Amino acid sequence: MDELRNHVKEMLANGTVAAVIGYKEAGSPMRTKPVIITAPEEAILLVFNEYCLNNLAVYLTKARVKNLARVNGTIKKLGIVAKPCDVHAVIALIQESQLKREDVYIISFNCNGVVKDYGETLTGETIASKCLHCDARQPLYHDKVFGELKDLPASPDEELAKIKSFDDMTSQERFEYFKNEFDKCIKCYACRAACPMCYCTQCITDKTIPRWVESSAHGRGNFSWNLIRAFHLSARCVGCGECERACPMDIPLSLINRKMLEVAKNDFAYLSGRNLETPTLVGSFDVKDKEEFIL
Amino acid sequence: MEEKIINRENLNKLCRDIIDGGNILIAPGKTEYTVIKDTSEIILDAGSKPTKASYKNYAFPKAEPVIYYKKDKNDIELIDIDIKGKKTVILGAKPCDSNSFDILSKVFNWDYKDDFFNMRVKNFIVIGMMCEFADKYCFCTSVGLSPVSEKGSDIFLIPLDENNFAVRIITDKGKEFMESYGKYLTEGNPEKAKAKTEAGKSSAKMPEKVFNSEEVRKWLGKNFEHPFWDGIGDVCLSCAQCAFVCPVCHCFDIVDEDYSYEEGRRMKNWDGCQFGHFTLHASGHNPRDIQGKRYRQRINHKFKYYVDKFGEILCTGCGRCSRGCPVSIDIKEIVSDTVKN
Amino acid sequence: MTEEKWEPKVVAFVCNWCTYTGADLAGTSRLKYPANMKMIRVMCSGGIDPVFIIKAFERGADGVLISGCHPGDCHYNAGNFHARRRWTMFHQLLEYLGIDKNRLQFSWVSASEGKKFVDVVSKVVNDVRELGPFKGYKELNSEFTAVVNGLKQEVNKAEAVNG
Ligand code: SF4
Ligand code: SF4
Ligand code: SF4
Ligand code: SF4
Ligand code: SF4
Repeated sequence: MDELRNHVKEMLANGTVAAVIGYKEAGSPMRTKPVIITAPEEAILLVFNEYCLNNLAVYLTKARVKNLARVNGTIKKLGIVAKPCDVHAVIALIQESQLKREDVYIISFNCNGVVKDYGETLTGETIASKCLHCDARQPLYHDKVFGELKDLPASPDEELAKIKSFDDMTSQERFEYFKNEFDKCIKCYACRAACPMCYCTQCITDKTIPRWVESSAHGRGNFSWNLIRAFHLSARCVGCGECERACPMDIPLSLINRKMLEVAKNDFAYLSGRNLETPTLVGSFDVKDKEEFIL
Repeated sequence: MEEKIINRENLNKLCRDIIDGGNILIAPGKTEYTVIKDTSEIILDAGSKPTKASYKNYAFPKAEPVIYYKKDKNDIELIDIDIKGKKTVILGAKPCDSNSFDILSKVFNWDYKDDFFNMRVKNFIVIGMMCEFADKYCFCTSVGLSPVSEKGSDIFLIPLDENNFAVRIITDKGKEFMESYGKYLTEGNPEKAKAKTEAGKSSAKMPEKVFNSEEVRKWLGKNFEHPFWDGIGDVCLSCAQCAFVCPVCHCFDIVDEDYSYEEGRRMKNWDGCQFGHFTLHASGHNPRDIQGKRYRQRINHKFKYYVDKFGEILCTGCGRCSRGCPVSIDIKEIVSDTVKN
Repeated sequence: MTEEKWEPKVVAFVCNWCTYTGADLAGTSRLKYPANMKMIRVMCSGGIDPVFIIKAFERGADGVLISGCHPGDCHYNAGNFHARRRWTMFHQLLEYLGIDKNRLQFSWVSASEGKKFVDVVSKVVNDVRELGPFKGYKELNSEFTAVVNGLKQEVNKAEAVNG
């Protein structure tokens, strides 16, 4: 932790970065919250541990945060403390031209997993399900990296098992399952707000002329909203799980995102936010893309 | 005020009677207050954590039609909604929930009387229960309530031991409701119940009073423009999780939804002041253009405007908004911090 | 409405340059295809936003057909290549959420393939007929449609009384 604090302090003091988005303790050592610091002496607030659940890349597209990097007419770097999986989101944002690689200073960690929920001790039971299938516990891109890799507590991948179990269901049963889950939605849009890849200035669900997605939180409006959200994130979602964590109604959004990750992986061998040199999946095409479903 | 005793077995029977009588019974579930179909689903535990969502949707639904319309060549026909207020019983409401309809009634009956809300509330019976939970997000004691507050309850339960609850009949509505269930009650022991609530008040489960709401109100009046708000705004993500789970947030949006060219309905849907679009004018101007201003509105509405207008704090201290906030913004901490600035 | 009388409603979103012209050819060649298909012409298959499809289901479609130029023939060079990727994702998402894959079908039909157009339309309509009415999506809003249908009957009754 001291290493992190000292490094950030130095980077702020020598002007490499204009601000750093990081984590600080939130009322208890077992909960953290985002903090944006601009003064070297504030670096002492920073922490990094298994309670750093937020994907801070969500702030990189916010106007006021971007403005922090504009110092006396020049654009400086924004520092971000990012878990290796959060780095995927930063990379995906760069791939989608939301920022430039040279605009961010990535401070990452060799990561030993995070908990599902604040206040729990990290064990095989409490580990976040995304960590169980994590393919990059060492950051793929970084400007500074800390920490030592340790073994993750082992645990069965229940999420994948659940997704697989849908294969045996009829369409009607699946429809019924998701309808009941989506029914709970209250349209608070916390899933959208927490998602680093949901940066549209006007979301399709807020468009009123014409009204594509009904704003009412009734069965039909909810189904359409959750369907469109999932589609807009298909092959763009980095699987950070922030949407599901933010959802107050406990809707299993990760079950859908994860399925779509699998689809992109199987059909296009594509993983979002892994490679700065390649274009995004939906922003490009290959004449040889498979098409056996087309008549 | 009458006081009786009921044991768990009889309470279950009473619940079965409520359901069998064709009434709606609601009790705290895992995420939200849920409609109980079978009494085995009821978990009545004073030590349970408040549900993630409040029960306001049973009187003020997340989406409800207010009128239907039908276009016919040159005519438009309007069809009123027949609001069927079914008798609804809430069992085991926490003191930070039970007061919510009283607070909401003020705004829903201020100039326009909202029949949709009133009809449903009229048919509500709130069976509150003493709370033995309290975590660091709770602050009912700072907004004039407490874990033993009977405010808003028609009937109030106090757990005496594993198996027995003291039943306090608070309102006439509660009395009338209980009349037909007298057979399940035994004579009360007011001394024992009082001892229990007194013990609750001095126990560690009593949230500490962290701010003086009157001081906060005065501070808010003087510090509309304060850099304090910007710092919060930069971290807040502008969702409406906090408003939608809150038992007393009540903003709504009116939208017309067509089903075809000829038919449609007008909907009343929850809305939240933290959305950027909430105050966006047709001209493109947005008076609350940055999140800091929106968060300021949230706190001002709760701790100043509502108090000035209706004499009530628009917050019951339940701590839901803080527990669920994706970026861990804690309203208790923020309100206590205001006056320190 | 009784089950015998039910006829599938299928919406087709077709591109202007190939499939629409192909459908036209089917017409001028007097080839017959089921009348259940409501065709909506768009400029390019790449411009068919998935919300169009969702809207079609919301408004009571039992099935949807999407059709455009064969790969390599796009009037705008690459519209259909982009579309193809999106559809790969979208149809699997729908299927996962419980919407049968035969309710949403895709085809390439060129301007000279009047016959193929007829075959595709017949296949889709038949598939949808086999699946039956798409109750799932419609019932998401049943309380509302019930009121409106009830109202329709009321209005009809009133009209009958008033002559
Ligand atoms: S998914 Fe991987 S990188 Fe992300 S928190 Fe878990 S272990 Fe760390
Ligand atoms: S959709 Fe959910 S899991 Fe995917 S990037 Fe957005 S917040 Fe993360
Ligand atoms: S966070 Fe959950 S309840 Fe809120 S809009 Fe998203 S899915 Fe719906
Ligand atoms: S305070 Fe938290 S819950 Fe409320 S809008 Fe901000 S981020 Fe969302
Ligand atoms: S503002 Fe927060 S603490 Fe207060 S009543 Fe609403 S949800 Fe509860």
